[in-house]
Amino acid sequence: MKFTIFQESRRGRRANNEDRLGYCYSRDALLMVVADGMGGHYYGEIAAQIAVQTLTGAFQREALPQLQDPFLFLQKAISNAHSAIRDYSSEQRLNDSPRTTVVACIVQDNVAYWAHAGDSRLYLMRDGRMLARTRDHSRVQLLIDQGAISEAQATSHPERNRIWSCLGGEQAPEIEFSRKTPLENGDVLVLCSDGVWGPMPGELMAMSLKDANLMQAVPMLLSQAEVRAGTHADNLSMIAVRWEDSYFDQTTSAVSTKTMPIDAITTHLDQFGRNPAYKSELTDDEIERAIAEINHAIQKFSK
Amino acid sequence: MIAATPMAQQANHALPTGFQLDEYRIERQLSLGGFSIVYLATDAQGKEVAIKEYLPNSLALRGEGEICPTITPEHLPAFRYGMKCFFEEGRALARLSHPNVIRVLNFFRANETVYMVMEYEHGRTLQEFVQKNRPAITENFMRNVFTRLLNGLREVHSHKLLHLDLKPSNIYMRNDHTPLLIDFGAARQTLAADTPMLKPMYTPGFASPEHYQQRELLGPWSDIYSVGASMYACLAGSAPQAADTRLDKDQLIPAMVRWEHEYSDQLLETIDWCLSLNHLYRPQSVFALQKALTEPVLPRPAKREAGWIGQIVGKLKKKTASK
Repeated sequence: MKFTIFQESRRGRRANNEDRLGYCYSRDALLMVVADGMGGHYYGEIAAQIAVQTLTGAFQREALPQLQDPFLFLQKAISNAHSAIRDYSSEQRLNDSPRTTVVACIVQDNVAYWAHAGDSRLYLMRDGRMLARTRDHSRVQLLIDQGAISEAQATSHPERNRIWSCLGGEQAPEIEFSRKTPLENGDVLVLCSDGVWGPMPGELMAMSLKDANLMQAVPMLLSQAEVRAGTHADNLSMIAVRWEDSYFDQTTSAVSTKTMPIDAITTHLDQFGRNPAYKSELTDDEIERAIAEINHAIQKFSK
Repeated sequence: MIAATPMAQQANHALPTGFQLDEYRIERQLSLGGFSIVYLATDAQGKEVAIKEYLPNSLALRGEGEICPTITPEHLPAFRYGMKCFFEEGRALARLSHPNVIRVLNFFRANETVYMVMEYEHGRTLQEFVQKNRPAITENFMRNVFTRLLNGLREVHSHKLLHLDLKPSNIYMRNDHTPLLIDFGAARQTLAADTPMLKPMYTPGFASPEHYQQRELLGPWSDIYSVGASMYACLAGSAPQAADTRLDKDQLIPAMVRWEHEYSDQLLETIDWCLSLNHLYRPQSVFALQKALTEPVLPRPAKREAGWIGQIVGKLKKKTASK
């Protein structure tokens, strides 16, 4: 797998950042996840944190180096995240359970699989155009679908933040799944919270990200969204990945430190071989790590 | 489902000529060992490379015309375990960049096993060379080859690695007679020696006494024993007596005795020095050994003592005195 990836999260004009995001990858699979903890509820950022950790944790255990069934993985991991948030709130005896949206995407064998609950979005962009995006689980989206209001009206609708599916609520989340979507070289996937897509039309993002350096384009887009939102800017979070081809190249992927340390799969190469477990059997993951480590050393010492 | 096939003790079939392996095209098989097959291949630019394929005979079987070897579930743990040794070799070589040490270029996974790509050099092993060019094994040849080889070994040791399987068949001679250390299949990180992860591997005749017992004593001096044994083998045309049987009954004729007058005393003395059974009596570092090999040859004393026993005693005395 070869891809360029960048993620960033900002507080906007809010007191806290209740968004959480993260990505991790093995040799053959990539997971990205954005969760937007809900401001109306206490501990929104904890719900978001639990959601991201649950998904990345499951990925680290199961993507060795591929997931058997990406949709099943997403379904189980998101349900587990919901249960984990419920467990947390009962342990902490919280009156109101914390809630969060989630959007998560797996790329494996050049095919993207995504799922979401709530109004955090995924966009698929090709050649500077929006090819697909998730439908928000919100009241305004229902109104748009019914033809009651237009997209433009929705951006200023008083109930635009009300969503009918999320993690951590009384009811289990309604998880919506994508189709299996084959990616082409140069395709860009964007996962973002409503703080980004609210003030920033998808078409504009698609154009800005076409052929751009993600490490520059993503911060620029966030700044623009922040300016457009003005004094009411919500938390803004965005992960963008540009798919290149089926080869994995460590050097092209930028890692943001703004989220939890979820890079264990790819970067802790030095651990291999130090374990004195005499008879232990090599796992596929360890083999990949050993090869990556050796190739890294070859490059490092050939200069 | 095929019933578990017994692993017959037959050689594995090599990948066919013209087979596209990752970015390389297989040209022919160079060698077939118990643990691996080495191929000559060309890369995308048409450059020749050597590719070593991990394929232990007893655990993985590739039939004629097959590409992926058959590994039965019962053998899989052992197969994977052996892969660790293969990785050790790659790990050791990847860190070394020296004109007298084979260079590893790439490492990849395919056909349910792993491959190590190395630079390919025109030449032959020192073993083959010696067998075909006995008259070429002159004093100068020995000093030149081994001094250069020791440059490579010094590099190995400076990375806190031991080769542990030095022998003429693991020393490659380029056509310009510069030597190259190859086959680091036994190489270990000395720092990890207290947690032995891998089974011992050695070649009788070239392995030091520490290889057989007291492996915690393995050190640069163990590779130095193997260098001495390799030098001895170059002169003798065959491997010296194995160290374990020497410990029982030492029947190795000292180089000083066997080739007196044919080579300088100093060279022969150095060979015997390396072949000391007690590791403390050997050169303790490659540098010490190199120094002995590059010292100018002393003119022979005009008078010699009668009888070789007297001479040996004399040499031993001299050596002890110099410590």
